[in-house]
Amino acid sequence: MSVPAIEFKQLSFAYSGRPDSLKSITFSLRRGSKTALVGPNGAGKTTLLLMCNGTLRPTSGTVVIGGGEISYDARSLREIRRRVGMVFQNSDAQLFAPTVYQDVAFGPLNIGISDEDIGRAVAESLFAVGLAGYERRPPHHLSGGEKKRVAIAGVLAMQPEILIFDEPTSSLDPAGAAEIMDLLDELHHQGVTILLSTHDVELAYQWADDVVLIADGEILHHGPPATIFCDTDLMRRAHLTMPTLLSLYHHLVARRLMQPDIPPGGIPDMAQRIEEITPGGIAQDAPAPIHLLDTGEGVNGPITALRTIYPNLRIGVMGTAAKRTLAEAAIIPDVTYGVIDTSILHALRREPVLIITTGGMIERVKARVLDFSRTSGISLSVLPLRENDTTEEI
Amino acid sequence: MQSIDHHFLDDYACRNALRETDTRMKLLLGLGGIFIAISASTPYSPLFIALVLSYVTVFRAEIPVRLYAALLCIPASFALMSVIVILFVTGGGDPLWTLTLPWFTLMATTDAAWYALIILSRAIGGTAALLFIALTTPVIELFGLLRSLRIPQEFIDLSMLLYRSIFVLIGEAVAIYNAQVMRNGYSSFKGGVIAFSMLASSLFIRAWERGEELFSAMDARCYDGKFELLQSSNDIRLRDIFLIILFLLVAGLLAFLPLSYPPL
Repeated sequence: MSVPAIEFKQLSFAYSGRPDSLKSITFSLRRGSKTALVGPNGAGKTTLLLMCNGTLRPTSGTVVIGGGEISYDARSLREIRRRVGMVFQNSDAQLFAPTVYQDVAFGPLNIGISDEDIGRAVAESLFAVGLAGYERRPPHHLSGGEKKRVAIAGVLAMQPEILIFDEPTSSLDPAGAAEIMDLLDELHHQGVTILLSTHDVELAYQWADDVVLIADGEILHHGPPATIFCDTDLMRRAHLTMPTLLSLYHHLVARRLMQPDIPPGGIPDMAQRIEEITPGGIAQDAPAPIHLLDTGEGVNGPITALRTIYPNLRIGVMGTAAKRTLAEAAIIPDVTYGVIDTSILHALRREPVLIITTGGMIERVKARVLDFSRTSGISLSVLPLRENDTTEEI
Repeated sequence: MQSIDHHFLDDYACRNALRETDTRMKLLLGLGGIFIAISASTPYSPLFIALVLSYVTVFRAEIPVRLYAALLCIPASFALMSVIVILFVTGGGDPLWTLTLPWFTLMATTDAAWYALIILSRAIGGTAALLFIALTTPVIELFGLLRSLRIPQEFIDLSMLLYRSIFVLIGEAVAIYNAQVMRNGYSSFKGGVIAFSMLASSLFIRAWERGEELFSAMDARCYDGKFELLQSSNDIRLRDIFLIILFLLVAGLLAFLPLSYPPL
């Protein structure tokens, strides 16, 4: 087994003169995992996250980052803070420079990156969060979602291995929150280990590989989301509610309308199971194909060609670079978050759909659709588009 | 009392049409204007400066006329009030106008009128030049300039943090104020005093908390005493320099030539 990204060993912490906020915390995060730290208000989530980059020092126990124990001298802390990027809950507290450029450049400058490289690091980070061109704006002229993106860019500019987010979607509107979560997925796909805290069970259930449940400063459980959120006793102890999808599933199972199985992972999965239990089945038409386009191939030609075949074509876009390309081409997408699952649903409804994305995410789309086809037994086809070519099938 | 929505001059400065013009050029024009306007010995030059810079601010920088007029009115009304006093307390020259009251005689003389006129024009010219800077030059552009003027780094870093904190704290203050207004906080004078004191005390505590958050935010990003400055990427256009220098020369000549006063 490889070295864990973060490891907490028997960690306890108390703010001076108060009872323990964290009691003997022991768990570890796999490298490249995406983990949600879930718990009610005041459970100690933020305190625990502040341990990860040495902002708070445990009263007893240790924090191990990438195999090395954190030591609390100034030099080691700087190295830890470069490797572990922290995005605070309140973006206003995190953005302190008068302009976006200066704020993003702050980290790289202080870890001693040369002047030429700083400009590049800032440009790349702002591009990665979809805010290229915002350099000279003051933070108080940005919306909540944009501030959050700048805060993320400021951390990305130091090229961290681990990203820590404290309540990344609180105070964002639902679409803004979903887009931030998509951005997190994109970063995770690039190999960053992500740990976020939340009390949004829906978000944690859909997004995380692993869930750490914390209440009253203690870890109640650490495991895959389905096992934790299905445990009503755990949910009650942690002051949380079951995600809607799971509640529905449990209800249907309890009424013996549905066979107990692995809990459904998302809406396409659930829709599939309901289809299976429909008496006599339903008239099954072949689903519409999911078209796939790499922005590197040019967007205008293929989209126009496809639109002449399917006037009601739905366009979904994944990833910051693809979103930007589409914006430049003045094409308005229908779906900008939760794109793969939404597209599968569209395909099942026989609505032709096109996913536009770049590079490595192409494979992710294929893998997810293939996975759905295998578990559901409905064969969905993914058609990669190229200029003057709309027929290749996988 | 109603809740407040906040707009700042700096917001307009960040969006004006001359945003991309080089900061040094704008400061040269504005500061040159102020200097000439307040040191002029005849009213022609300050009025010329007021006219030209108002034109530039409204038509070139595309600042809304109503806003500009309202801003100019504030100092202008102060100046007008002082000028009326000056008109009647200064002596010399020929009597222009006399008001005889049973116990007192008010008299305005030609010298007093000229003096009042020059004070008024200086005030308006200076204000127009100051407003030009305030409405076209965002504060964020000034920090880089301060550095090139060899102002110590610590001073600039602090002022950058202060600048950012102002807006965060105003946001907090407005939020508290609105919360108070929504619960009739300022409905009576006594209630208003109490509400305002509560606003001040909770703002102090929040400012303190913000300070602590700032500290950990900087620490989390490896603060090591370095703060990036916004690089000025604008090119200086020769035409601009030429026009500004021409303008300042004309204004300067008008200001210091021994021109006669306008006939009254």
